Amino acid sequence: MKKENQSSTDPRLGELLREARMAPGLPPGFQQNVWRRLEDAEAPARPASWLEVLANLVLRPRFAVTAAAVLLLAGILAGTWEGRQVARQDARMNYLASVAPATLR
Amino acid sequence: MGRPLIILLGAVALGAAIFAGSYVTARRATVVCCARPADDLSWLQTEYHLSDAEMARVRALHEGYRPKCAAMCAQIAAKQGEVAAALGGSTKVTAATQAKLNELAALRAQCQAQMLEHFAAVSQAMPPAEGRRYLAEMKQLALGGQAEMEQSMSGEMGHEQHH
Repeated sequence: MKKENQSSTDPRLGELLREARMAPGLPPGFQQNVWRRLEDAEAPARPASWLEVLANLVLRPRFAVTAAAVLLLAGILAGTWEGRQVARQDARMNYLASVAPATLR
Repeated sequence: MGRPLIILLGAVALGAAIFAGSYVTARRATVVCCARPADDLSWLQTEYHLSDAEMARVRALHEGYRPKCAAMCAQIAAKQGEVAAALGGSTKVTAATQAKLNELAALRAQCQAQMLEHFAAVSQAMPPAEGRRYLAEMKQLALGGQAEMEQSMSGEMGHEQHH
C-alpha cells in the first residue's frame, strides 16, 4: 500500500523502478539461433561419410603407431631384399669381368 | 569434406615417406654390407651352394686361368693397336687392314674358346645340377649380349628390306 502510494506520487521513483525492471536486450539473431538449435536437436544424426570415418581412424594413436611400424618394417624388408639382389648382381658382374674381358662381351 | 581429405592426404604422404626412407636406407646398408670387392669368388660359394672343398677347387681353377686370360687380353689389345695403325686416317679397308682384322677375329675366337673351356672346367668342379646352372648362366652373360645385338640388328635389317 505504501509502495503504491509512493510510486503514484513520485514520478521519478516510478521511472527508476520501471528502468530497473526492464529486461536486457537480446543479442541479434537470438531467435533464429534458438530455432536452429531446436531443429538440430530434433533432426536425426547425419551419417558420417567414408572420408570422415577413415580420417577419424587415422587420427587414433594406436592405429597411427601400428601403421607406421608396419610401413617401417615393410620398407626394411623390401629394401633388404632389393639390396641383396643388387649385391648379388654386382658380385656376378665382378666375377664375369675377371674371367670374360669386355672385348669379348 | 575438406578437413578429412587433408588428414588422409597427409597420412598417405607420411606413410609413403616412412616406407621410402626405410626402403632406401635398408637397401644401401645391405649393398654396402654384402659387397666384397676384393674377392670375386665368394659369391660363387653362396650362389651355387659349394662346399669348402669344391670352393677350393674352383678357386684353384680360377687362379690358374687368370694369367692365361691376361696374356690373351694383352695379345688382343696389341692386335687392336695394329688394326688402328693399319687403318690410319683412311676410310678404305686395304688388304693389309683386312688381314689384321682377320687376325684380331681369330684371337677373339681363341679367347672365347678358352673362356668357355674354363667355364666348363669350373662347372665340373661343382655339384652336377649347380654346375649346369653355372654354365648356362655364364654362357648367357658372356655371349648373350653379343647374340642379342646381332639378333636386333638382323631384325632391323629385315624390317628395312620389307620397305
